Amino acid sequence: MKLQRNISMNSVINLSSTIFLLLFITLGVSAQESSINVQCPKGTGTLIHPGANNPGIKCMHLAAGDGMVTMADNYQNTGAGKPMYVFSFAELPLPGVDGAPTENSGDYPGWVMDQGMLAANAPAPTIAIDEDDELFLSMTNVGMAMRPDLFDPHTIHWHGFAEASALFDGVPDASISINMGATLTYYYQAKDAGTYMYHCHVEAAEHMQMGMLGNLFVRPRQNRCDTINDSSIPGGICPDGHISGVSTYAYNDGDGSTRYDVEYPIQIGSFDPDFHDASFNVQPLPFAGMRDRYFLLNGRGYPDTVNPNALSTVDPLGNTQVSQPISSLISASPGQRILLRISNLSVTQFYTIGTSGLTMNVVGLDARLLRDGAGNNMNYQTNSLTLGGGQSADVIITTPATAGTYFLYTKNLDQLANDAENFGGMMTEIRIN
Amino acid sequence: MTIFKKSISNRKLPDFFSAIVVLVLSVTLLAPATVRAMIIGETGSHFNLTASEGYISIADGGSIYSWGYSNNGTMQLPGPTLIVDQGTTVTITLNNNLPAAAGNTSIVFPGHQVTTSSGVAGQITQEAPVGGSVTYSFVANTPGTYQYHSGTRPDLQIEMGLYGAIIVRPSSPAVGCSVASAYDHPKTCYDREYLYLLSEIDIDIHEAAQQQATGPGPIDVGSGPFHPEYWLLNGRAAPDTMASAGTSLLPNQPYNAMTRMHPGEKILLRVVGAGRDMHPFHTHGNHSQVLARDGRLLLSATDSSQLAGPLLFTIPAAPGGTVDAIFGWTGKDLGWDIYGHKPSDPMEEHEWAPDHGKPIPVELPSLSSMAFGGFYSGSPFLGAMGSLPPGEGGLNPNAGYAYMWHSHTEREMVNNDVFPGGMMTMLIIEAPSVVITE
Repeated sequence: MKLQRNISMNSVINLSSTIFLLLFITLGVSAQESSINVQCPKGTGTLIHPGANNPGIKCMHLAAGDGMVTMADNYQNTGAGKPMYVFSFAELPLPGVDGAPTENSGDYPGWVMDQGMLAANAPAPTIAIDEDDELFLSMTNVGMAMRPDLFDPHTIHWHGFAEASALFDGVPDASISINMGATLTYYYQAKDAGTYMYHCHVEAAEHMQMGMLGNLFVRPRQNRCDTINDSSIPGGICPDGHISGVSTYAYNDGDGSTRYDVEYPIQIGSFDPDFHDASFNVQPLPFAGMRDRYFLLNGRGYPDTVNPNALSTVDPLGNTQVSQPISSLISASPGQRILLRISNLSVTQFYTIGTSGLTMNVVGLDARLLRDGAGNNMNYQTNSLTLGGGQSADVIITTPATAGTYFLYTKNLDQLANDAENFGGMMTEIRIN
Repeated sequence: MTIFKKSISNRKLPDFFSAIVVLVLSVTLLAPATVRAMIIGETGSHFNLTASEGYISIADGGSIYSWGYSNNGTMQLPGPTLIVDQGTTVTITLNNNLPAAAGNTSIVFPGHQVTTSSGVAGQITQEAPVGGSVTYSFVANTPGTYQYHSGTRPDLQIEMGLYGAIIVRPSSPAVGCSVASAYDHPKTCYDREYLYLLSEIDIDIHEAAQQQATGPGPIDVGSGPFHPEYWLLNGRAAPDTMASAGTSLLPNQPYNAMTRMHPGEKILLRVVGAGRDMHPFHTHGNHSQVLARDGRLLLSATDSSQLAGPLLFTIPAAPGGTVDAIFGWTGKDLGWDIYGHKPSDPMEEHEWAPDHGKPIPVELPSLSSMAFGGFYSGSPFLGAMGSLPPGEGGLNPNAGYAYMWHSHTEREMVNNDVFPGGMMTMLIIEAPSVVITE
């Protein structure tokens, strides 16, 4: 189903969007040097990266813009979920990769605008890198096609990055943000494993309620302990029972206590449909009056959370776009250890999430291994975990020896709902088979 | 950003600038009393507090009828921060100067064993009747951060503003601390300390109380859903949180929340949840090491020389609770030199040596491709100014690194429907050469 403004408004917006698109494609092609410029020194050899093909250099390109996503209810008995207008990010291939034009061809900027507009995902694409990686994270502001009246810049805030610089912290008041039709490349040296999150920090109450939120985590160097073999580096020696190339850990624990077999990022969030509809219809936005009514894990309500496939939504121009690519269905074999990388990016409230029948072992909080100053394990077992916006936890669940289905769900029971519909919302399944 | 919002925020801008100018002027004019920032408050052992009515200012231009404590005749929100030394017998006399319709009032001191004298019996403690007084006394046995608040009709009286913080300093600072310590423990050394007292305001309750204040009482504000529209840090809503402490622009809200430090320093955060909602207080820039909750130091069970609290990037402030935490920053491991040094340049104090002389690994976009924050100096380097388009920047005269500290329930970073505002302030990490006097 397609969300409609009233007819006259819709046609005006469609026309504006088309002009907007054409404008940028034209600019992209005609400009001598485009402002859309993905910086990725890999293989090129630079002053600080003299070696070519350094495997520790990771590059990623995100388009920041708008799009539509689908909620999990039967909206107004249409047989389909409520279409929700969002701002968010979409991942784009680097120049010359996966069918993208090369930089030298001059076609990449126009292609970026064409691919990036109305392509936003909820949640935003997951950023997963390894400790010691250098991340060149390029973000192009492709504009909000359905809101041509807006001139908003965007940023990326790596939430929780230790010893952050103001320059790459993404707070627009404190540093720089990027205007429409241009790219800003953020640089991060990932020196601390853990579960973080990222979001746009421009007009944070608005852009975050609108959905510019994503999973971000850093896997520890202990996973590579076979190749490091340096006892002076935390995680540089292998814990007992380490299996080369197989064993994976949440942290540099030194004792294997955070080993896992399968990992799932679980981002808690919630949307206020009145806010999103007001934004789509160019109305004043309710800030203090925000009341979230769709309760989500990775951008979906139950039962969509257990759909293993990407969800698609028809955008207002009639094109079907991938909207919610991340399933929250948690699958494991009997006896396996599941790592849940849980973060809350709701802008309105704390949530308590818990399990039925399985014990959650909390091994990390806010991207730090739970240890006291003397090195004692401070992990704890629980059936309910309360996180406010901007908090994260690493939870390991050891599955039982027999097959079965369990639930991971909010214990704020009224929020097991997709707006007016009971039985849904912030819940997913843990299937042992 | 809608056009509507834009016009509002533009109108707000001159106020914001004047507040910042006040801050800068005060830094310049006031002779430094100490070399380190101390939390402003009342010291001693005997306090004479008066509960009375008044108005506080909100950064969207509104003024809100409130109740607060005073110790000098000017009602303030939050109440005076009471700073006492460990072991002191603290005596607090409370005078009830609230409107008669408000009825009795009282104070409770969570975390302390209190004895009372005079006053009249109330539900949970002795109360001061209208026009009367009551005296409380306790021994401040344990260092740490505490709060005090009304113990009479707390749902109404705390909402109206009858709350404040208590700081108990250790009788002997820990050995080895060059400036001060939060507890008698060397892991609690700090160079500067700041208070972050978080509360919220539901305007409906304040308006109902105002309308009934001159009536016979008791004041009835109903018990409907609590829907705050304003969120406060130390009694102020952003951007007023960043204006100077004691500014005459905010006579009833003397405390600010502007935070400043140098690289390599440790600052002590005293986070107080004084309202009825939980708030996730996010410290941009780095993790904070939790020292204590509710004035109780958290130590390792096997080695009491070590801390046991977690490292958090978001500190949950729970109603009635306090958290003490240490924050530090040097710019370690960024992969580039934050001072923009050439390799041959001398090192700055606390500079992260492996990054000395390394350029920023990416090229920044052209000026026309970027938007700039008021706290951006125009240069990516600490303590350096760069060129900015006309009208940009200007709020960060020493070109420090600026970080937003705020409730990560972003809905609370507004003043009613105007963003930004609310429960938000800035940390400025100043270059080593900048003298911090406030």
